[in-house]
Amino acid sequence: MTILFERIARHPWLVLLFVVLATAGFVSQLPKLTMETNLERMLPEGMDAHINYLKLEKLFGTSNMVVIGIENNGADGIYNPHTLALVEELTHWLQTRKEFRSLALADLMSLSTIKDIRGTADGMDVERFMPHAFSKPEDIAHLRQRLMDNGLYMGSIVSEDGKGTLIVVRPARNMAGHYHEIYELLKEKIADIEQRGGEERILITGRPVIEGVFSIYMPDSMKKMQPLVLALLAVLLFISFRNLRGVCIPLTVVILSELWMMGTMAATGIPMFTVTSMLPILILAVGIADSVHLITHIRVEAARDTSLDRQTAIVRGMQAMWAPILMTSLTTAAGFLAMLTSDILPMRYFGVFAAIGIAYAFIITILFIPAIEAVLPHREQAMHKLAFNGYLNWMSRTVVERPRRVLMLFAVVLLVSGYGLTQIQVNSSLVSEFRPSDPLRHADEVLNAHFAGTNALDIMIDSGKQDGVLEPAFLQGMQSLQQLVEADPLVGDSASVAEFLAEMNKVMHEGKQRFKTVPESSQLAAQYMLLYSFSGAPDDFDSFVTSDYRQAHVRIQMKTDSSAEAASLLHKLEAKLADWFPGATVEFAGTAYTTHRFSDLIIKGQIQSLLLALTAIFILCFMMFRRWSDALLAIMPVSLSVIVIYGIMGLIGLPLEIGTAITGAMALGIGVDFAIHYLYRYREYQAQGMTHADIVQHSNHDTGRALLFNALVVIGGFLVLLTAPLYPQVKLGALVAGSMAVCYLASTWLFPIVLQRSSRHARP
Amino acid sequence: MNITRTYLAILLLAGGYVMPAWADPTGLEVMQAADAREDGDDLRQTMRQTLIDRNGNTRERVMVSFRKDEGKDKKMITFFLKPANIQDTALLTYDYDDPEKDDDQWLYLPALKKVRRIAASDRGDYFMGTDFTFEDMKQSPELTDYHWRLLGSATVAGHDCWKVEGTPASDDIAHELGYSRMIQYVSKDTDIAIRVDYWDLAGRELKHLKVTAMKKIQDIWSPLRIEMKNVQSQHSTIITFSDQHYNSGLSNRLFTQRNLKRGYRE
Repeated sequence: MTILFERIARHPWLVLLFVVLATAGFVSQLPKLTMETNLERMLPEGMDAHINYLKLEKLFGTSNMVVIGIENNGADGIYNPHTLALVEELTHWLQTRKEFRSLALADLMSLSTIKDIRGTADGMDVERFMPHAFSKPEDIAHLRQRLMDNGLYMGSIVSEDGKGTLIVVRPARNMAGHYHEIYELLKEKIADIEQRGGEERILITGRPVIEGVFSIYMPDSMKKMQPLVLALLAVLLFISFRNLRGVCIPLTVVILSELWMMGTMAATGIPMFTVTSMLPILILAVGIADSVHLITHIRVEAARDTSLDRQTAIVRGMQAMWAPILMTSLTTAAGFLAMLTSDILPMRYFGVFAAIGIAYAFIITILFIPAIEAVLPHREQAMHKLAFNGYLNWMSRTVVERPRRVLMLFAVVLLVSGYGLTQIQVNSSLVSEFRPSDPLRHADEVLNAHFAGTNALDIMIDSGKQDGVLEPAFLQGMQSLQQLVEADPLVGDSASVAEFLAEMNKVMHEGKQRFKTVPESSQLAAQYMLLYSFSGAPDDFDSFVTSDYRQAHVRIQMKTDSSAEAASLLHKLEAKLADWFPGATVEFAGTAYTTHRFSDLIIKGQIQSLLLALTAIFILCFMMFRRWSDALLAIMPVSLSVIVIYGIMGLIGLPLEIGTAITGAMALGIGVDFAIHYLYRYREYQAQGMTHADIVQHSNHDTGRALLFNALVVIGGFLVLLTAPLYPQVKLGALVAGSMAVCYLASTWLFPIVLQRSSRHARP
Repeated sequence: MNITRTYLAILLLAGGYVMPAWADPTGLEVMQAADAREDGDDLRQTMRQTLIDRNGNTRERVMVSFRKDEGKDKKMITFFLKPANIQDTALLTYDYDDPEKDDDQWLYLPALKKVRRIAASDRGDYFMGTDFTFEDMKQSPELTDYHWRLLGSATVAGHDCWKVEGTPASDDIAHELGYSRMIQYVSKDTDIAIRVDYWDLAGRELKHLKVTAMKKIQDIWSPLRIEMKNVQSQHSTIITFSDQHYNSGLSNRLFTQRNLKRGYRE
């Protein structure tokens, strides 16, 4: 190794030329980088939620609908000529757009398309509530009355208070992955409408829109946050190193690492996912540690012995540092590679590319830094002028003189966190990842408050035989199911063919309420289905029952996309399904189910990958230190930080979900560096025969200083993310900063004490 | 000089007069001929409907139907034979030529043992879960709903056809019927539209109708098999007709609510 460093120090320009050429190569690949915004692609292929979703789409059509809400808070609410004309205009416009489907009634539901079934003295009437936009007051009053009498669309198409109405439309099949374009299109149309004036306020939401916007918004704002992070890193580097060189060199290293990593991603043709869009910022934070340590060491070497010439100082710094830097890079990479156990594809990519980025950062650090240090003019810097001497001295004194107090403090933190850990909840909700002021979240909340709900939980029930759905017992099962779910305050509405058949039964019995029950025989049910197909919209049922009447679909609309709420509803249902549908196969699908299962997978994968990462890091540390006790020591601060971070999440009620789950693995990979650096230095000085107090004093001034710089820079850089527009970024920032702080404190304050005690015990 | 001029004038006049007989008909004329095609004063036939969904599942209904013309109005009665759970269900329709007057429909449900009057559907509604709308089921579209334009001749499945394009006369009509455009291929010798292509309101191709078998029965050209395929949903419907008897002098008493209840007996 020494020879390599001497060569680098002697031929710096050659090395720099290599770095420049390699960077050019990676940058040339960047234009190939693509984005994947289809959230369905994130699901593992064999996952039941994914299979069921495809089945639902095939048999009944997706229930992922785009929702346009029209709100009018005027005296008459939406029941005025202007608003009704607007509904018709938008409905007709949607029918002519290729981005949407409008074949069946279930594809496009609005006041202009829905139909009223009414019993008359001698039969039945089915007609559109609003065949054309009404303008006469009596027509409008009549419309309102009929909607109220019918009841079926109260809460789903018109709000109970009469202030709002929805247009619900299914995106065209080929729009999957382009949902953000639908949002842009609608926003443009609505801006046009609003420019004309009027009392109406138009809101857009619906699962496809939320997913589409989120998946484009997140990488986009990540890109925007990056200059801010870099700027803060620059300031903190300047505070640490007090010169421009100390700012520019580490920043160059991390920017190059990022370019290499992204270039590799582009060259391999792997698209950028929402999750992997966090990689660039991550690599800034992780990659900077190596260079901070190396530069600090070269400085310290030069300051300790001013007689050294430049080249020798560089080579000495490299000799002292290459092993721990390689070690920390390996452990960090191992931490990320543990994410390969995840079932979720983008999580696996995240782990792999983070590891690649770390490898690049290591290579660039040990090539570029000695070369550039050799090229740049030599400058003296006295030891005492290095920053943070006061703090480092105080820390050294305290850990040697008052170890008990320090231990007590950590014990308290551990206890509180341990309690918090028991309180942690698992929940994920895409909508709550937007800030409350975001127009999309606002729209979703308003519409969920006034209407049935924009999140679907779909239940598919296979009766096992043709016409099985029409059996009275089966229909009754569906009715019982609907009664149970509708009792839940977070369920806005549910729909099934049983509900329609009960309505038909009532209509065919002169509208008498006591006949609002499922038909008493399967023949009658079949005849009602036929009757309905003569007089109304036969395609209505395509989304609720297959054409052989063997499989049925119950659609539940929930007012929240929280996975925890879905889980509790599913739990209630599962207990009863066997009673309601003996012998039938029941499967779940829809947003609510997908998020619930997804959340399960994340947690399971998270625990697995955390354990795997800990084991891998433990083994690597053993290989380095050749002592089980040291390997155990090395993973202690990260274990502590994971407990503290998840403990705090439990205490403040921040649930575990995909974003926060990633931080666990990240914290592990990054945080272990502190321990390794400290332990490595401590053992080295110990081998030189120093006393404990001297070792602490010495280690704190070289490695300790670098660790402090490293911690400050990364914590500061990540705290910038607190101002980000989306919560996953805010959480990422806060959690990484928090776990870095814990790891730093544990490694520098706790380690010396534990090391002293363990070596005292080791002595005979 | 005068003679020459007079001669020329006569020639031109005569030519002008005779010309329509040789020239192509207009689109409207082709459609008028299709609309006026002879279909007998009454008809009894058996219909078999096969619905095929995107996944290849099929559902079949068999019915026997009677039709009788009364001036420009039509009366129809249809008895369902299969599947078993709708057997004896029957539908009676009075279809009035006057567009202002809604059709009358009654349905007999054997499980309920009641005749129920049901309101007429919108013309653009799909018929009995098939791929046909109520309007598609007619012999030809309402001629005034569309602007007709002859696009030329074309050969379809071996038949020499007029190719006529129809575009809705107004936006309201387009939205009512659900089409932005259609092309009819009307067979020159039978006046039957043997292929029709439909486009939806967004201008996407929507459905293809094909008459895949026809036969002259009692001197009347009768379709034997019609296919309608929705190319967007991949759902299709096949209707086959058999046992046609034209002009057998069906009694008016056949087309009553009482007879609905009585049901069909061979």
